[in-house]
Amino acid sequence: MATEKRNKEEEEVKTDDGSPKIKPRPIVQLGIFLVAHSPVFSVVFSAAGVLALLILPLLAKNTYISENALMPGSARSMLSNRDVSDGSKLVKDIKNYRLNHEGQGVEVQKLVGKYMSEMVAEVYYQKFHPEGNQFHPLHFFSGPDSYTLLDNVSCASYGVNVAGIIRAPRGDGKESIVLVTPYDFINGGDYEALSLGITSTLFSLLARVTWLSKDIIWLVADSRYGDYRPVAAWLSEYHSPSFKVSDLLKCGERNTADNFRRAGTVAAALVLKVDGRSERFEDTLSIYAEASNGQMPNLDLINVVNYLAVHRQGFYVKVEKVVSLLSSSWLKIIGEIFEAVGKLAHTLNPDWNFGIPVADYLEGSATLASSLYSQALGIPTGPHGAFRDNQVDAITLKVSPRFPPDSKTRQHDFFLRGARLLEGTIRSVNNLLEKFHQSFFLYLLTSPSKFISVGVYMIAFALLVAPLPMVAASLYIEGCKALTKSTDNPTENLKSWKWLDAAKQVFALHLFGFIVTLLPYFICQVPGQHSPSNRSIMWGTTSSSLLLITFAAIPGCSPFTSRHHGTHWAVLKSVTISAAFIGLCLMSIINFATAEIGALLLVPTCLMAQPIKPALRSRRIKSMLGAFCSMVLLTIGFPVMFFAISKGLFGEGLVGLSLGGEFWTWLESLWAWKSATYLYIGMVHLPCWLLCLCILFHPS
Amino acid sequence: MKIVILVMLLCYSFAFSSGDTTIHTNNWAVLVCTSRFWFNYRHMANTLSLYRTVKRLGIPDERIILMLADDMACNARNEYPAQVFNNENHKLNLYGDNVEVDYRGYEVTVENFLRVLTGRHENAVPRSKRLLSDEGSHILLYMTGHGGDEFLKFQDAEELQSHDLADAVKQMKEKRRFKELMIMVDTCQAATLFNQLQSPGVLAIGSSLKGENSYSHHLDSDVGVSVVDRFTYYTLAFFERLNIYDNASLNSLFRSYDPKLLMSTAYYRTDLYQPHLAEVPVTNFFGSVMETIHTDSVYKAFSSKTSNNKINSEMPVNQLSEHDELQKANIPNDELKTEKQKCPYTQMRVDLHEKLEKFENVDTVVNLGIAVMVFVVMISSSLL
Repeated sequence: MATEKRNKEEEEVKTDDGSPKIKPRPIVQLGIFLVAHSPVFSVVFSAAGVLALLILPLLAKNTYISENALMPGSARSMLSNRDVSDGSKLVKDIKNYRLNHEGQGVEVQKLVGKYMSEMVAEVYYQKFHPEGNQFHPLHFFSGPDSYTLLDNVSCASYGVNVAGIIRAPRGDGKESIVLVTPYDFINGGDYEALSLGITSTLFSLLARVTWLSKDIIWLVADSRYGDYRPVAAWLSEYHSPSFKVSDLLKCGERNTADNFRRAGTVAAALVLKVDGRSERFEDTLSIYAEASNGQMPNLDLINVVNYLAVHRQGFYVKVEKVVSLLSSSWLKIIGEIFEAVGKLAHTLNPDWNFGIPVADYLEGSATLASSLYSQALGIPTGPHGAFRDNQVDAITLKVSPRFPPDSKTRQHDFFLRGARLLEGTIRSVNNLLEKFHQSFFLYLLTSPSKFISVGVYMIAFALLVAPLPMVAASLYIEGCKALTKSTDNPTENLKSWKWLDAAKQVFALHLFGFIVTLLPYFICQVPGQHSPSNRSIMWGTTSSSLLLITFAAIPGCSPFTSRHHGTHWAVLKSVTISAAFIGLCLMSIINFATAEIGALLLVPTCLMAQPIKPALRSRRIKSMLGAFCSMVLLTIGFPVMFFAISKGLFGEGLVGLSLGGEFWTWLESLWAWKSATYLYIGMVHLPCWLLCLCILFHPS
Repeated sequence: MKIVILVMLLCYSFAFSSGDTTIHTNNWAVLVCTSRFWFNYRHMANTLSLYRTVKRLGIPDERIILMLADDMACNARNEYPAQVFNNENHKLNLYGDNVEVDYRGYEVTVENFLRVLTGRHENAVPRSKRLLSDEGSHILLYMTGHGGDEFLKFQDAEELQSHDLADAVKQMKEKRRFKELMIMVDTCQAATLFNQLQSPGVLAIGSSLKGENSYSHHLDSDVGVSVVDRFTYYTLAFFERLNIYDNASLNSLFRSYDPKLLMSTAYYRTDLYQPHLAEVPVTNFFGSVMETIHTDSVYKAFSSKTSNNKINSEMPVNQLSEHDELQKANIPNDELKTEKQKCPYTQMRVDLHEKLEKFENVDTVVNLGIAVMVFVVMISSSLL
């Protein structure tokens, strides 16, 4: 015992003598340093985040085929003129039929079905109900199964899909490839019929080839009720058969019960559309890839189509872009600066080749902006979105021929090239042994052949949100100090609980945001027909009254209470910023693009928010400027305001009095498509914006 | 008696330990394709082409171990069902009626490959799946697939490292499973696979050096895949000009590889291999030396073999092999007929031949013979 005691004493002495203070680890030191200089670093990091976003078009890499098995273009096309004449005949027959029998869609469906069965395909018809998407808060993230069959369906409106299956002669029947051609059997134009012609040409070939390892399904989707719904209905029947006999089956003369046929797992799907005349000299192929909630198909699928279209069939391939950005002068100036810097770097070291011409930069930025916007919106850009919801890689190909629809001679060549493109793609996918997995799923496109991978674009977001925890920490320390000074009562100086009041306020407002998010569901339940404007007014009034109730119920919340009741604004801001940080980081996992755009808006607003009264009282230019900035940012940050501004930016005409109605319609589309952006706006953006407003009008 | 047996055993062991002096008795081929999947069609085609070539040059099916990691002929993607081609002209179907695949699909593993080489099989493995070579065997080991620095990928799941290969070859040497071994590898960075080899009697050829890729030769646009690799293509082109009796040397094979055509540099490791390459015919590895024994009657020959062979076999073998070496050095003939045991009929013929040889001047004998024949004819005619 005695020796132990002595040992202990010796140890104590040693520590006392050697190093009285344990030196903190370098990472802790770095943290302390960053927190101590948070204003400088937050400006630097935010600026770097915006710069990184602007620099992204320069960092785009050329796409490459990642999966060895695909081997696009290695096989010779086997299409013959006979196949093309099959396709042409179908188009001609449809046109003649439509001329003679106005408004009889069923007969056209039968005609397509007859052609399919002549090619030895298994044909069946599927009836579906056009209305599927109903907002229900509980079904928000649930899968496509939520299209429950309504019991009281009317036979007045229903769609009929026609589908044909070609079985692979020596395949194992476990996998399939789906071709979709949306076609409106009643109102479909001449251009739309061409898509049937191309696919029919291809189908005629596939019926006789020996190299298929996956079954081919051709789905002619009845696009009377939109492109998406018929495909989604077909897919949900394909993947989850309903054993309840639907009332729909009794409608019409054809009984479609029990003949829904399936092939194996869908390996990939291609949606083909033909529309409008190409403005360019070549036939144009537009690729649409964005599915719901910013999900993208595997990049390899786009690569294969792009490779075959450009290098084999000579299409002009494009992806969507924000056209208004192409002519914007500020972006042009930025592009010129980057070009000059790139040239300078090249002269310094010939290996540095990151500079790109201004025109390329503009194109890249416009495409990138469109890619970000489509992903952030979370609404699929075509029927392929229905496939992505079932974890199938799919894209929509929209072909615009350069000839008028009645030109016979050009049509032959067009069918040949279109069908060859599809044949090559199908042959590549046919070679696959596994699901698409080699290439990227998280990427942004800057051109059909250039992409930015997740590892690169995450940097911009990380830089943008990096100041938030730093500023939160420094504000918390500041707020604590202020509080200890102001109160002399030692019992209130329990340091670790000072954030609790602020947290209560933050939590209350987040709860409010949650309720506001759910309100539209109840507003929709209000009986009677209401215009979108009325509904938005209803929503607005209920939300505002709820907010007032919240402020009244929880005294610490309101910005209008006396200063002795409320918490110190620094602590409140600290907790607000932490909440915003957590919300943004969570959102970046669900939908990166939303988080990126949200961060661009929310981060400056949160960082700049400060009480306006002391700034006005001090009458110093610096603080006045700060207050002005935070007011401007808060104005822009209001969701309705931002919606209006972005509408103006995208050149869709300035909105007038119907702003509320349009906003309502927009939000309605968001929740109808189950976009997580809607949740983000309601549950992260709105509460944080309100909290910033509270800070702005804080009495201190 | 014991002493006799002891001496016999000593002789026996002596004869076998000196591997160089063992004569070349038979030829074996182990042909391995290590990669699966449709897009590796060419590896299957490479191996099947080699299989066809060695079979054509005389190695029988029972002495070829063919390992194919996938079945291309029956792949649903194959436009020509049940056929495999190594050229886009589709003239030669490599997957004809008489192809015996010994290890197929998922049986082609590193473990099975090493078991084949070292001969450590489970009891249930049939003889047709074993490499039953002996100390007089020449073995051709051909491998193709995807390789890298000192490894060769098997089945997308495991890899054979150069250490493993060297170790297996060493075991084979110790177990006297070969006299000469030729390893031919057509992969990327094939030369690196030979880095660890130490055993004498091993000759190694690789399609590419370290850091080089081996490329495919051409694409069959009907089948939609590349059908043959460059190195194998030019190897086959060399052998197509040969028949079973040709005596082209290994040197001429090695010289036929043009780095420009291969797009890689063929590498040969000869430091473990004593004979001069210019004097070794390619058929030493790619063909077969068939030993022929003339017999009067099947049973008699075997009985004589069993009765008087046991004791005498050692010395004559050594002598013969020396003779063999000499002959090899003088005339590089691939069709060396060696006869271990002589049957009575041939023995008689040889004796007669030797007696005839003893005559000093053959011409006088012939002339005398003719004269005697004329004499006999005259007598017989006069008698009639």
